[in-house]
Amino acid sequence: MYSNIILSRRWPQFTCICRSLTTVEGQKLPQSSKSTDGISPPPRIHRNPTDILQALSATVGRDPTAAHFKYHDDPYLIPLSNFRKRSYALSAEAGRKAAAWVRDEHAVWFTTREWDPPSKIKTPYFNADPRIDAYAPKPIYNDESKVTEEDLKYTISNALLEDSIKVFQLLGGTDTINDDLKLNFLQLLCFCNEKEPDSLEWLEENWFSANTRERQLTTWKVGGLADKIFASLEPKTPEAYCALILGMAKHYQAERAYALTQEAIEKGIPLSTNVFNALLGCVGFMKEGTALRTEELKKLLSQMAQLDLTPNDKTLSACLRSVSAWGSGKMLQQFALQIVTEFRNLGIEPGLAAYYHLLCLFCKERGPRVDILSDILNNLEKREKLIPKEPTDTNFFITAMGVCNDHLQNYKMAERLHALLMKGDNYKLVGDAYKESIYYRHLVTVACRHAPFEKTTEILDTLVPNVYVPEPSVMEEIIKTLEIAGAGERLAQAWSQLVVFGVAKRVKLVERLLNAMCSCYDHQSDEVKANMRTAACDILKYGQRTQEDGGPIATDTLRTPMPKLSANAVTNVLQLCSDVKDNAAPEWEVVFEGLQKLRKSEAAGVPSNPQTLANVAQKATAAGKLGVAAAAVQYLAENGFEEAIAASVETLAAMLNRPREDIEAMLQQKTADLDQSLHPSAFAVVEAYNLAKTGVGSSNMEASNNSTSSESDSDTTSDDE
Amino acid sequence: MNVILQYYRSLGTARTLNLRIWRLNSTSADVATTTKGDEEEEFRVLDILKSRQRTKKKVTRRNDVQPDRADRMSIDQKWGNVWPGPKTFHPSSVPLPLRQGYVPKGHVPPGKKANAELMKIPNFLHLTPPVVKAQCEALKQFCTEWPSLLNSEEAIENHYPVETITSDYCHAGPTIRNPLARIATLRVKLSTLNLNKHAQDKFIRLVGERYDEETDLVTITADRCPLRQQNLDYVNYLLTACYHESWNVEDWEHDKTEEDMEYYDWDKNASKKSLVQWHLRATNMPNDLSDMDYVEYDISKIPNGEEYKNAVSSLMNNGESEETLKNYGAAVRKLLGLPEAKI
Repeated sequence: MYSNIILSRRWPQFTCICRSLTTVEGQKLPQSSKSTDGISPPPRIHRNPTDILQALSATVGRDPTAAHFKYHDDPYLIPLSNFRKRSYALSAEAGRKAAAWVRDEHAVWFTTREWDPPSKIKTPYFNADPRIDAYAPKPIYNDESKVTEEDLKYTISNALLEDSIKVFQLLGGTDTINDDLKLNFLQLLCFCNEKEPDSLEWLEENWFSANTRERQLTTWKVGGLADKIFASLEPKTPEAYCALILGMAKHYQAERAYALTQEAIEKGIPLSTNVFNALLGCVGFMKEGTALRTEELKKLLSQMAQLDLTPNDKTLSACLRSVSAWGSGKMLQQFALQIVTEFRNLGIEPGLAAYYHLLCLFCKERGPRVDILSDILNNLEKREKLIPKEPTDTNFFITAMGVCNDHLQNYKMAERLHALLMKGDNYKLVGDAYKESIYYRHLVTVACRHAPFEKTTEILDTLVPNVYVPEPSVMEEIIKTLEIAGAGERLAQAWSQLVVFGVAKRVKLVERLLNAMCSCYDHQSDEVKANMRTAACDILKYGQRTQEDGGPIATDTLRTPMPKLSANAVTNVLQLCSDVKDNAAPEWEVVFEGLQKLRKSEAAGVPSNPQTLANVAQKATAAGKLGVAAAAVQYLAENGFEEAIAASVETLAAMLNRPREDIEAMLQQKTADLDQSLHPSAFAVVEAYNLAKTGVGSSNMEASNNSTSSESDSDTTSDDE
Repeated sequence: MNVILQYYRSLGTARTLNLRIWRLNSTSADVATTTKGDEEEEFRVLDILKSRQRTKKKVTRRNDVQPDRADRMSIDQKWGNVWPGPKTFHPSSVPLPLRQGYVPKGHVPPGKKANAELMKIPNFLHLTPPVVKAQCEALKQFCTEWPSLLNSEEAIENHYPVETITSDYCHAGPTIRNPLARIATLRVKLSTLNLNKHAQDKFIRLVGERYDEETDLVTITADRCPLRQQNLDYVNYLLTACYHESWNVEDWEHDKTEEDMEYYDWDKNASKKSLVQWHLRATNMPNDLSDMDYVEYDISKIPNGEEYKNAVSSLMNNGESEETLKNYGAAVRKLLGLPEAKI
């Protein structure tokens, strides 16, 4: 009965089986090494289990329109801002973590078949075949666990540090465990410094984790478990010495490491190259002053030679790491070059980490320009494959790109470097999300500043937004480049990009964009102009974006209210939007709205170029939008701009279609008489004229202000009809 | 009543429930009096279809949704990068103006967005010719040269007469095992086996329906063992055993008489004897033949004898039918020198 249910549940699984392959095997093949007779098949070419998959995946390149494959390929689910990228990926991982928690916490549900008949109940059972250890529940150790040495072996081999300490204590500490196991445990403790290492299982967390800069601090736990275990080991093997010295040196307990090394050498215990590599890395902790440190480094190297230890590439990068950490200066640079030459003579080529340290040493931001990067690239481009060897290797590309951008300011070099990163599967050397974004920040900046415009757009099209979302500073750089190149269409698009990237609330950026749009508006084609106007309208409306049933939400109720645009920015919008001849164009509404904003001082500051507003008034009059024109002139007059008088006269002249002299004569009359004879909008202009002329408006300034605004409001609507 | 109860439970709060039910059960006059008192509570009509309640759902629109990425694709892109593996159709990443589905009169077929018909059918967008070509190029490094002498189907059949067929299965599930993968099939052409007439006859009897006369193929399938290799071994064993058994001649096989024959052998039958006798009489030759001589008599000496033999054999082996009878009649007329039958 039960098994029936199970079967029917699993039925879809069986039905989705596809008959993937039908092999037609020949008879038993003759075991000749060659197909000399032309009949028997030649011997099989050896391949690893994943070789075919890798060959097939190498045929697939990058698609610039698609997001990373960890995201869903759907317009609603493709993340376009850095925040969304991070939160989507981490949410997915949080789900995986929750599943893993349930699996570990309730391991019984996954390893037994509770639905079996009572006699067989709780028989261990794994539905996965072959069993995949990574998917199997992980054992949980607590004070009640019954543990054996097998458990200790398991925890050590899987680098479960806290669990292994627990098991170690449960097993009875140092006395009951054999020496081999103790040595393994000591090595684990020394490597991790009694701190649970970051799990490698959670890729996204590691990728997005806040950049924990490696600090050179003495973190070694003196008198900890590692020291105790080392003390209990008898006799002390060379491996034990090496492990402890390596642990101390790795966690910058330099003096004790040195002392232990001397002790080992005196006792005649052989040490490994790695021990000296680690010691070379913390020379700076031992001695003060460049000269003493250099001497100490040389002494250590000669000690290695005495002990017949062959240096390897890690020795080189450890030396350079020390040297680059001591500061800069001609002497150190010379010394570093000496070291590199010395190692070249030994047949050891510097790796990526060594190059990283060299770049740090030579290319200081304020120092003289040193072009060692081109040599490095020449060398690296010759290599067939870049093999990561040290964690520091991932710093190379970001630093090198930084050098291209800040130090060399050379786009050619940046292009070469980027090509190197994209070659083969070198991309894994980019590090984590933080490093990747800095890398691209440098690349895009250098492309904007120093590359020809076509190259820049090409780079932007391939990278933004799926690979890299520009930060506000980079966005500004991009806008600057677009402005210089006069790419109006792209500037219009840039606004929607600002919205999508979640930086549309940065007023500085928006103002920069509006400036750029204004400055290159004139030489665009009509279609592009229309696009730019739409973008400008959208910028002004953005703060009052309607949500739900069309009711505008007050800006104050938003969690982060849209900051005020400056008056300059609003003026820019007005300038762009007023460039329409059509009376019924929707742009006029926006213009009117913008003017209201200015008048209600919803924009910060005053416009620096009031002539623009005068132009707006004229254009509005020309298009027959008298209310808009009146509002513009009124604003000028209220703020006491000198242009107000000239603008009001011009506007009136255009409105009433009379020569200027007539208008000036008319304006000398009493305002009260004009009230009856003039169009309300024209009268508003007259009032503005008086205000500008006398400095004081009519007695009921506020009231008239309100009335004119309402009048002009009705006026606009009538104009629209 | 039940319906009303459920309806109200879903609608009203528990507090008003009692009152409402009572009101529904009461007469209309009662209702009028009660509703007059409190105006804010108007009489609620039982709306079974809930046509009134269908309010417009609020649609919240995100303003940062990008347009389909299909719109941004360049015309010279590599399609293999966009659609690298098999997956369900997705409208926003396929830059094709596809339409599919039921067409109401006067309409066009539904477009690609939210189109279940397009999602249901398997697509081969991941296997466009350039992709297939690129993948073949990538796999060439694992391929060895084809043996030069195996250049035709006949040559392959000649050198590798035995075929074994097994199937591999690909799952999405915790286990990669499939019970169907254990089944092994072996195929061999009977003519390629080294058998004489007796052995072949015995072999065919042994394998029974596993032999297909039309294609001359013997197909042996085994699925009784749990593993594929065991089944392969088993089919090989079956073939070997049948082959050697068919060469054995048991003592009792000599006792086989004409009645035991599984088919009509004209040479051993009375028909031939009569024909030979008739022929000898007709040509005035002495008749001193023994039984063995009759069997081995060369029929080609008799004009039209071969045809008669075939006609009789087919009549006896294939049974009486219009065809065989007609053939027989024609053969007899020819043999006897009679004119052909007029229809």
